[in-house]
Amino acid sequence: MQTTVSLKKKVKENSALYRRGGAEIVVFAIAFIIFIAYAVSLLAPFYYLIINSFQSKNAYFTNLGEGGNAFQIPKVWHPENFLIALQGMSLMDSVGREIYLPEMIFNSVWYTIFSAGGGVIISAFSGYALAKYDFIGKNTIYAVIIFTLTVPIVGSSGAAFKLMSDINIYNSPLFLITALCGYGTNFLVLYGFFKNLSWSFAEAVFIDGGGHFTAFFKVMLPQTQSAMLTLFIMAAIGSWNDYSTPLLYMPDFPTLASGLYRIQTSFTRNGNVPAFFAGLIISVIPVVVVFSCCSGTIMENFTVGGLKG
Amino acid sequence: MTATKTQKKSTKVNSFVVQKYIFIAVLLLIPIVNWALFWLTVNISSIGLAFQDQRTGVFTWRNFKDFWDIISKQDGELYIALINTFKYFFIGLFITTPLSLIVAYFIYKKIAWHRFFLIVFYLPCIISGLVMVKVYTEFLLPNGPLSQLFNLSIPPEGMFARSTSATPAIIVYTIWTGIGGGNMLLFIGAMSRVPIEVLESAKLEGCGPFREIVSIIAPLIWPTISTMIILSFTGIFGASGPILLFGTDGKFKTMTLSFWIFKQVYGIGEFGGSGSYNLVSATGLCFTLVGVPIILLTHWLVEKVPSVEY
Repeated sequence: MQTTVSLKKKVKENSALYRRGGAEIVVFAIAFIIFIAYAVSLLAPFYYLIINSFQSKNAYFTNLGEGGNAFQIPKVWHPENFLIALQGMSLMDSVGREIYLPEMIFNSVWYTIFSAGGGVIISAFSGYALAKYDFIGKNTIYAVIIFTLTVPIVGSSGAAFKLMSDINIYNSPLFLITALCGYGTNFLVLYGFFKNLSWSFAEAVFIDGGGHFTAFFKVMLPQTQSAMLTLFIMAAIGSWNDYSTPLLYMPDFPTLASGLYRIQTSFTRNGNVPAFFAGLIISVIPVVVVFSCCSGTIMENFTVGGLKG
Repeated sequence: MTATKTQKKSTKVNSFVVQKYIFIAVLLLIPIVNWALFWLTVNISSIGLAFQDQRTGVFTWRNFKDFWDIISKQDGELYIALINTFKYFFIGLFITTPLSLIVAYFIYKKIAWHRFFLIVFYLPCIISGLVMVKVYTEFLLPNGPLSQLFNLSIPPEGMFARSTSATPAIIVYTIWTGIGGGNMLLFIGAMSRVPIEVLESAKLEGCGPFREIVSIIAPLIWPTISTMIILSFTGIFGASGPILLFGTDGKFKTMTLSFWIFKQVYGIGEFGGSGSYNLVSATGLCFTLVGVPIILLTHWLVEKVPSVEY
């Protein structure tokens, strides 16, 4: 099986498709130059952010002044900016308690794990039930999910906000139960995945005396591991970077994204922009590390059709 | 003896069927409760709020009248919001998405350094919008990096404090960060499922890159493109840039519909604002009623294009 796959890959790589000549070379050369320019435009901001997070306050402003050089490498490096960010950046919650960056990091961790993990697992539940079982109401449930995904509802956030307050999950970690929805795009991907998964695996479990739970948790679910991992990483990156939901519904539990947004005006007012940049870098590091470790899985799953759904 | 055996077998089958329904119920319990509470209840409640007086809770048409008064005011907040929303939507649909398709094509065709480009172009998707916006605004400071590098004349008040430049600058940001990302990956995924023989024979016939994209790849990946179009239209009234992060607070003609709604809802918190849920619900209901026929029409039009089986 593996040999067949690698053979197919080799045939594809040696295909005439990737041999170029004449005008095509010119088109690809122009595209390459444009791509390089676009890549530089995306990478330059990070270079700017990193070098300026090590600048002193004065050097930062001098470099942005008349005749300055904003990309100037620090003459004296100031790693203490990171310490200032960790120890000095804070905001006040509704009862007047100071919340510092380490607590925001902690909030980001649990917020990300529960909202991304919960969403993906519950989507696997609903995807499996609808893809593999026939029961009364199945088609109705599927139609409702498609309707929910495609109907362009606008402006229900007022009612949602009111409901969160009424059932006492506003400004509470319990708000995360809203993430346990098994009817989003994750559902569509996992529904498609289970639909293409052979039922004979489950039948083998039933013949061996196992039940539906055993078949699902021990045989079927583990086969979606790669797709679920990809969906989880994507959802986790989204949750880690999500500033508006915690800002709106959990103001006393600021995550790094929502907290840094709230802090930025007050913290940079006294000119400590380099320390704020250090805070931004701290917020980016976990995502970059996770993405670097899993980029192969993500790209593979997306670009070779593993998540076609 | 046989009867007992048959009875036993039947009991076993019945028990297996019961187990099946218990299993399905367990799997679907949380999603159904979640949907009923956070989608159905919220939307029914939203419709109810649209017809209720903000203070007394009695039935009224006033919210709709207020909505009409605000939106019909030329250069009013909601009027500008609607115009900007359409700008973001159409630019996303007709500029950003086609650019994503073109970028995906070259990466799929293994342009030199394609793996490097794939990762770098995906960066805006993994880096927080807060970081991207902060650096982007720094780059556009009057004497910021872009001004220094290209000798640009950026007004002293900055790009985001002028009505003529604020929204265009945010639109450029959405294009800059939107070309790569999820759409690009989905396009590459769809292209990788196109039978290689089709493209090879086209190439042997002398088909160039432009013709290959327009005449072969686009029709073959039409299901992916059409899904994206439908989903774009689903979010037509939510189209916006990250206005909150740019800190314009909707001033300098940067308001969008989704940011206006965010402001009304978020406003009741510690940051001030109106918190007028009823007006938000009435506004939302009107736009939803406009949006439903649009999405149905889009769906119908998209279905008209024959898809190729392969």
